[in-house]
Amino acid sequence: MSNNKLTVIDREGSTHDLQWEPDQTLMEALRDNDLPVLASCGGTASCATCHVFLEKEVFDTLAERSEDELELLVDAEGYQECGSRLSCQLAFSQDLNGVTVTLAPEE
Amino acid sequence: MPSQQPTESVLNPIVIVGAGHSGVAVAAGLRSRGWEGDILLLEAEKEAPYERPPLSKELLKAGAPDESTVLRKEKFYHDKRIDRRAGLTVDAIDPAGRTVELSDGSRHGYHRLVIATGSRARSLTVPGAELPGVQALRTRDDALELKRALVPGARVAIIGAGYIGLEVAAAAAAKGCDVTVLEFQDRVMSRVTSEPVSRFFERLHEQNGVRFVFGAAVTAVEGSDRAERVVTADGAAYPADVVLAGIGVVPNQELAAEAGLQCQDGILVDDDGRTSVPGIYATGDVTRFTSTIDGASQRLECIQNAMAQADRVAADITGQAPADPEIPWFWTVQHGVRLQTAGVRHPDDDVIVRGTPAEVKFSVVYLRDGRLAAVDTIAGLTDFRPAKKLIAQKTRIDPLLAADPGTPLTDAAFAAS
Repeated sequence: MSNNKLTVIDREGSTHDLQWEPDQTLMEALRDNDLPVLASCGGTASCATCHVFLEKEVFDTLAERSEDELELLVDAEGYQECGSRLSCQLAFSQDLNGVTVTLAPEE
Repeated sequence: MPSQQPTESVLNPIVIVGAGHSGVAVAAGLRSRGWEGDILLLEAEKEAPYERPPLSKELLKAGAPDESTVLRKEKFYHDKRIDRRAGLTVDAIDPAGRTVELSDGSRHGYHRLVIATGSRARSLTVPGAELPGVQALRTRDDALELKRALVPGARVAIIGAGYIGLEVAAAAAAKGCDVTVLEFQDRVMSRVTSEPVSRFFERLHEQNGVRFVFGAAVTAVEGSDRAERVVTADGAAYPADVVLAGIGVVPNQELAAEAGLQCQDGILVDDDGRTSVPGIYATGDVTRFTSTIDGASQRLECIQNAMAQADRVAADITGQAPADPEIPWFWTVQHGVRLQTAGVRHPDDDVIVRGTPAEVKFSVVYLRDGRLAAVDTIAGLTDFRPAKKLIAQKTRIDPLLAADPGTPLTDAAFAAS
């Protein structure tokens, strides 16, 4: 599998173009490219420090959020019903090539 | 403390001792802050650095894979030119010569030394503690050993009702084990939370079949060739196939103490992670420091602190500004119910319960001199984020308003604080 291209808008509004590698979750792709994603719990949907916004068209193509993920997100800053995800819960998929991801405000 | 004297050659690497959350975060933070010199990351364990929180939670679940969640993939260390050496420890530090001696006999000069050796499980010291079947939970090997022992019907005695003991109690009960928790205090998690929260979690565990014995002073583990029972001071004996000691952790400070660094149940560090010896930093569980919030001398055994201190160390080494300080926070999950805490509660804080513990979702706020000092949220995070901000600002809170769960916590703040 080849890498996905990924566009990230950080908390200052700057844009970064990254490579998303097949063995990375979205959180890992962000963190390993030095974006300020804390991911305190290590990707177990426990802390909401890897919260991102996806575009609605992309969001709608994904599987439903788990109960844990949703519970953490609904109280998170800037929660979007049709856009908020924990990036640790998004595995690589070629369907996500070229997506734009916005980092949510820090908790 | 004296300022750094960067007179020696920066051709020497920054040597990081310990590749847990904090050690790895220092290495990553140095690179993301633009440090271009060599980084040598040493780890006593053989395998790639991994996440610890899942060891007492997800990893123990029936059907969960044995593979641990690595902190970073191999490629990360390669791409970031982090020279990671597994299975190596530091035998001695020579602060004057700025060298370390490794367990393979080699010597390395360092530009800066970062001690991130973490903590180890406090050992049970009663007679019989060395019997097979008695264990602690700290490493992945510990977790896998425990996971294999937690079979349906196994009698599990857990010594200590802290986070680790209770998370294991929940995992064991879910696997059909017969679980007894022996606790010296009169309630669970007494060090970290208030009585209403303790009572809620006791009921939750009991509803899931866990038994508690409070005021239990364990005096021995008995058995002919492996653990068969745990004995307490009142003469009671609790049959057990598996004995887990969850009685706290001890900082791995010996290396630092031998090198003359000031230690006092933890390596003493300042706000930037500097130890008493120039050129040497310490970070994570192994440190003791003064809280910027309440001036208390503390060790914080949590990931938030491990990451935040690592960032401050990386910032200081590179001469950059660190991120803003963050209120410490902690979490545990037991029987699927999350307890998440912000701030460090003191035993004499005023306790205000928001909501009804019988209804599962509630929170408890802690006031010190009328100001918000900490919060526990149970099964819901509504109060968590607002509380962190109010704690950071030492906001005065109206206790009557705060007691009403229908009033947002922010609205319970007195206007003039």
